[in-house]
Amino acid sequence: MTRGEIFNKLTGVFRDVFDDETITIGEETTAADIDGWDSLEPINLIAAAEEEFGVKFSMGEVVTLKNVGQMVDLISKKLSA
Amino acid sequence: MEITSFYFLCFYALILPVYYIVPRKAQWVILLASSFAFYVFAGGNKWLIMWPVSAIAVTYICTRCMGETSSARPGIRRTSMIFCVTILIGSLAVLKYMKFGGGVAIPLGISYYTFILTGYAFDVYNGIAPLEKNPAKLALYGLFFPTVVSGPIVIYRNDGAQYFAGHSFDYNKVTKGLQRMVWGFFKKLVISERAAVMANTIFDNYTQYRGAWIWIGAVMFTIQLYTDFSGCMDIVMGVAETFGFKLPENFRQPFFSKSISEYWRRWHITLGVWMKDYVFYPLLRSGLFMNMSRNMKKKLGKKAGKQITTFTAMFILWGAIGLWHGGDIKYVIGSGLLHWFYIVIGEVTLPFWKKVLPAMHIKMEGAGADLFRIIRTFFLVNIGNTFFRAASAGDAVHMLGRAFTTFNPQILFSGAFLSLGLDWTEFTIFAVSVVILFVVSILEVTPVKSRIAAAAAGEAVTACGGKSVSADGSSGGTIMTVRDRIARHRIVTRWLIWFALLFFVIIFGEYGPGYDSSAFIYAGF
Repeated sequence: MTRGEIFNKLTGVFRDVFDDETITIGEETTAADIDGWDSLEPINLIAAAEEEFGVKFSMGEVVTLKNVGQMVDLISKKLSA
Repeated sequence: MEITSFYFLCFYALILPVYYIVPRKAQWVILLASSFAFYVFAGGNKWLIMWPVSAIAVTYICTRCMGETSSARPGIRRTSMIFCVTILIGSLAVLKYMKFGGGVAIPLGISYYTFILTGYAFDVYNGIAPLEKNPAKLALYGLFFPTVVSGPIVIYRNDGAQYFAGHSFDYNKVTKGLQRMVWGFFKKLVISERAAVMANTIFDNYTQYRGAWIWIGAVMFTIQLYTDFSGCMDIVMGVAETFGFKLPENFRQPFFSKSISEYWRRWHITLGVWMKDYVFYPLLRSGLFMNMSRNMKKKLGKKAGKQITTFTAMFILWGAIGLWHGGDIKYVIGSGLLHWFYIVIGEVTLPFWKKVLPAMHIKMEGAGADLFRIIRTFFLVNIGNTFFRAASAGDAVHMLGRAFTTFNPQILFSGAFLSLGLDWTEFTIFAVSVVILFVVSILEVTPVKSRIAAAAAGEAVTACGGKSVSADGSSGGTIMTVRDRIARHRIVTRWLIWFALLFFVIIFGEYGPGYDSSAFIYAGF
């Protein structure tokens, strides 16, 4: 799967989790950029992404993720492994 | 030895030059020796140092076991981690909450060093923190004298490297650190000590007061608590900055928060981050909660299912935050579960307000709505702080009952403030200082629009954890700390401002007999 495809799929996950069809995400998108993405939502987001892509993140990966770009990198790495 | 005491300043004045004279490779050894000395002299009973030393030893041995066991043997790694965390959190629980035998002395800073070391152990287990192979270095990390008493709760993977890297003397950092210390002394000695007099009058005699009097007491305690804790943090960060350190911020103008969850991202930030990384996330990622989430979503639908799971995990989280403050039920309510209740009510009623308010032609956006939210959040926090300060949860309930059942705002205009233990002069000093604090807080969140500011932005961000708002972003400017704003002025103006503040603290600071001000509230945890 290319980065672009991962991004598209991930956008769908974001829209679904935050219940907002207008969300667009980029490499640098972080918690501060999306309304409601405070300390509660990242976990739901990660669970949803795991389900969507059929991958599993470790606790270490979860707490060190800084932005969407890193998440895409991680998913891409896991998919090609 | 409180960090506002004369002895601490002498101690610090001795270490600072030595720190920059010795070879850079040896700087951490100076800090380690100072940290041992500080702990022995600060804590009353010098043998209490055996507690943190044992905690460091256990952490060291367990993390070495985890770090050097190949990932092919997850059992050993897991056992080491569980053993380490059980010992660390277990000693915290036994010493703080069980109070067995009546009056066992509690080692200084146990809540802080325990969390600092536990976080490190978790991170080594998760493979995201480098393994520290030198036990003396781990000892410095756990015992570092500025942070051992009241935090901030540092995270090894983010903050650890600077403890052992050499720092060459940087005039800019040292002066900025000293400036921040003066600002901390101002908050603690000028504001907090005076607010305490008024808060004590109300809380210690609450049966004589009703209505607005109780609210005055609550607000005074909130001011006392904030200036005490954040003042302490300014001194700690300032001291660390003069050593070339940049520690994580613990406060970002918490009373400008528009919601309780925002408040907890701005108040005692490092505790919130710790709880999120090591309690809340692992809980939500555990098999139990994952299953619960799946089942609830099936039964109740996506949204409600998600909410029930999150609220349950949050209940445990807020219970833990309350317990961290102390074993008494008043902390569990006032600094914990009450906040959980606020957040849950807020989330659950949100759809209702979204329907009702527009129908009543009340705007949910804009400056008016924001101001309303800020005041509401401040009010809710004050209710929690009433529990925190009252002698018991029962007293707090009784006090709040008296506060809500009498409406007497007229007392605010008839000299009520002057009957609470401060005379007219003292109260004026207090009021002027609070205004200064308020103006500085406003400036710290107001973007500066100029090219000079943009150029200084990089510096500003590293200097005080200030947040840079992109120059082309919606706010169209850069957030600068007040220290950086002052640094842009001519040297005469700069020195005038800092010396004025210094003398203000020296003249109006309440350092009490023996130059030993009252203890910091958060040093007791």
